[in-house]
Amino acid sequence: MNGCFTRRHFLCGLVGTAGALGLHQIAGALPAFAYPFEEVPPTVSGITWKHTAGKSLEKYLPETTGPGCAFLDYDKDGWMDIYLVNSGKCDFYSPNPPLRNGLYRNNRNGTFSDVTGKAGVAAGGYGQGVAVGDYDGDGFPDLYVTQYGHNILYHNNGDGTFTDVTEKAGLAAPGWSSSAVWFDYDNDGRLDLFVCQFVEFSKEKSKDCRSGEDAKRGYCIPHLYKPTASWLFHNNGDGTFTDVGKQVGIAGPRGKAWGAVAADFNNDGRMDLFVANDTVRNFLFMNRGNRFDEIGEQAGVAYGADGRPRSGMGVDAADFNQDGWVDLFVANIDHEMYSLYQNNHDETFDDVALQHGIGQATRLMSGWGLKFFDYDNDGNLDLFLANGNPDDLIESLHPGVSYREPALLFHNTGTRLENISATSGPFFSKPLSARGMAIGDFDNDGASDVLISVNDDNPVLLRNTIGAQNHWLGITLVGRKSNPDGVGARITYQSGDLIRTLTKVGGGSYLSSHDPRVLLGLSNRQRIDWVEIRWPKPSGLVQRVTNLPIDRYITIVEGEQKWK
Amino acid sequence: MLALLSEISLAQNSKPSTADPAASAQKGITLAESGHCRQALPVLKKSALLVADKNLKLKAGLATVRCAITSDNRDAALAALQWLNREFPTSPEVLYMSTHAYSDLSTRAAQELARTAPHSYQAHELNAEALEIQGKWDQAQKEYEAVLKQNPEVPGIHFRLGRLLLSKPNPGADVAEQAKKEFVEELRIDPRNAGAEYILGELARENQQWDEAVEHLSRAAKLDVSFGDAYLGLGQSLISMKKFSAAIEPLETAVRLEPQNPAAHYNLATAYSRTGRKQDAEKEFAIHRQMTQKEPQDAPQ
Repeated sequence: MNGCFTRRHFLCGLVGTAGALGLHQIAGALPAFAYPFEEVPPTVSGITWKHTAGKSLEKYLPETTGPGCAFLDYDKDGWMDIYLVNSGKCDFYSPNPPLRNGLYRNNRNGTFSDVTGKAGVAAGGYGQGVAVGDYDGDGFPDLYVTQYGHNILYHNNGDGTFTDVTEKAGLAAPGWSSSAVWFDYDNDGRLDLFVCQFVEFSKEKSKDCRSGEDAKRGYCIPHLYKPTASWLFHNNGDGTFTDVGKQVGIAGPRGKAWGAVAADFNNDGRMDLFVANDTVRNFLFMNRGNRFDEIGEQAGVAYGADGRPRSGMGVDAADFNQDGWVDLFVANIDHEMYSLYQNNHDETFDDVALQHGIGQATRLMSGWGLKFFDYDNDGNLDLFLANGNPDDLIESLHPGVSYREPALLFHNTGTRLENISATSGPFFSKPLSARGMAIGDFDNDGASDVLISVNDDNPVLLRNTIGAQNHWLGITLVGRKSNPDGVGARITYQSGDLIRTLTKVGGGSYLSSHDPRVLLGLSNRQRIDWVEIRWPKPSGLVQRVTNLPIDRYITIVEGEQKWK
Repeated sequence: MLALLSEISLAQNSKPSTADPAASAQKGITLAESGHCRQALPVLKKSALLVADKNLKLKAGLATVRCAITSDNRDAALAALQWLNREFPTSPEVLYMSTHAYSDLSTRAAQELARTAPHSYQAHELNAEALEIQGKWDQAQKEYEAVLKQNPEVPGIHFRLGRLLLSKPNPGADVAEQAKKEFVEELRIDPRNAGAEYILGELARENQQWDEAVEHLSRAAKLDVSFGDAYLGLGQSLISMKKFSAAIEPLETAVRLEPQNPAAHYNLATAYSRTGRKQDAEKEFAIHRQMTQKEPQDAPQ
């Protein structure tokens, strides 16, 4: 792999000389776009919404686990809007005035307007996350909001408003839900829904956990709560869903699920499902057609190398090493290291986190939102990790571990992932209680931006300042026979000597949902020769498109030879 | 200890005392409680074994230990502790008393060492160990270095120094290298130190230097055939090298030596699974699962 964007290397060199020249002199000389991401403050973006955790003396566990966020184009104007999830009324919390989620419409000039009230998506329960998907194939993205209590399905009416159709759809999924994933598990062309359930919890079941010399009350380790089964809902195609978890084997093993990602891990044309659990083993559900086999142990993704369950939280799946097989990433808690599971092509994986420097970099960190994406459009999938310890007393208990933690950025050199956080600007030394994280190009410049939701604080919007300096092509996939969002599609493209394959996975990250468009990085190449879409079943169509433009977004509709 | 035991044996073989043993024991206990240990000890020694009542026997034994410790009669204390633990092996009172008594005896021996040979390397070594336990890492390090200055070839000190370096909080970037040098030096002095080989193996494993890890861990396992962790580390290294078949034997040994170690079962299950022994793998996974899946109870914490 070559043709890497060179600005980062230039910057590394510059940092190397900083000691000799004096850092302040160099900093003064740096152009404003020197680092890959810059924060867009609320005063500029207009996103003044803030998450309220409702932190209490009783330390109810849900207070420390949210929130999630999403990039979505709810009004189909071609610009990414933003949805933010808040806490709210439940059995242990009654905020006054009530809290609400936030929907921000993209004004197409770098600013956003709060349209929550008009759109009717304020929710009001104790929110956790959000999953976006066009479940009814009407072309407009719908919203599924997960909460502690029961969840909400907002149907997008296509006129800037939504309707709560939870009851009719049968998707309330009572309990404590965390991440949710839209994907077509039975290849019938409709998006089904997997909903992670965390633990058996209620105000009455909340435990009193104390630690330290002064026995301060803190957030309990989830080990103390009973695991529970997650949900899989089959889309009946008429606006209703059927709980098929038990029938297909998903609801068999009880977990404590935080993150989930759907992808075809064994290249058999069926979407499998990986679920990251906290303090119990992770699950890898392999889709055998009419049932799922949970093979996490045999696959080597259930435990750490010492055979102990870790605290799996954020997850993602991508073919980061371009060998044609989808790999896995799981963020864990401090002293556990995060896992990068490389696919061995035989339904087993090896944790190669140490080989890529990820193990060392994350030894004391706790990770939530995360995503593989090509931030510099050089054609290689990089990795962004949003972090923060869930325990606000952690600093008094474990020296070296911080409650608020900076994000990490790993650049994919083509052969390995390299931690470039230290040379990527001040944002990567800013401590945050990051939770959800979504990727999306809000300014349509072809560079993936980042949205981070922060526990009990304002969200962080990061503008990507360097991706647009390479060439790119953005694609919206529209399924006709296959599911409308093209979840599960494989996109292969060639640009001169560069051939890459990307997979559109279902879900990934933590409590969050991403820009549905696929960005193809071309580095400095001036043209793209072809793009081949392998649509998910039932069509399984392989569609090659040529005569493509670059540096713009296009739409490819399943079965239509000409792009739009 | 021997003195008291022989006295006890003599008491067992001799004719029963004409006096009431229960009354004698009670008298000894009363004397002990009132601080008259010198008078109490001979009475307790004679009567404790002859008492039929279990409760009184226990009380007499405990009073003997207390008095022996108070009057610094270490032989008597040790003999009484041994007797008590044999007669009442699961008694919390006996176990509690034993903990304190052994600790007290240990402290007295340490004081004796400090008094009689304060500059001996053994005194420095003991001091270093105590400082290490207290987390006074730098002071402990100086003590170990003092031992080496005095006697550079003492076995065990470089090993302890290396271990100390690895235990220090907030260590420097080169701590692993420094520790490694200490373990290598230890092996020069004492090539049979399985612990040093083991830690060198683990350090290599952490750095993904699999060949080196296998070398050290194999040697550690050979030097100490009961070293379960060495076999486990060896098996884990071989798994990391994708030498699954080769990993089976050391992991089976690890499981045999440490059947309660979930990591051993998990890694053996992985090795079986990757070599196609699905049934064996499932059996080991099941054992591992049982060990790691203990459900929380409803009771509040």
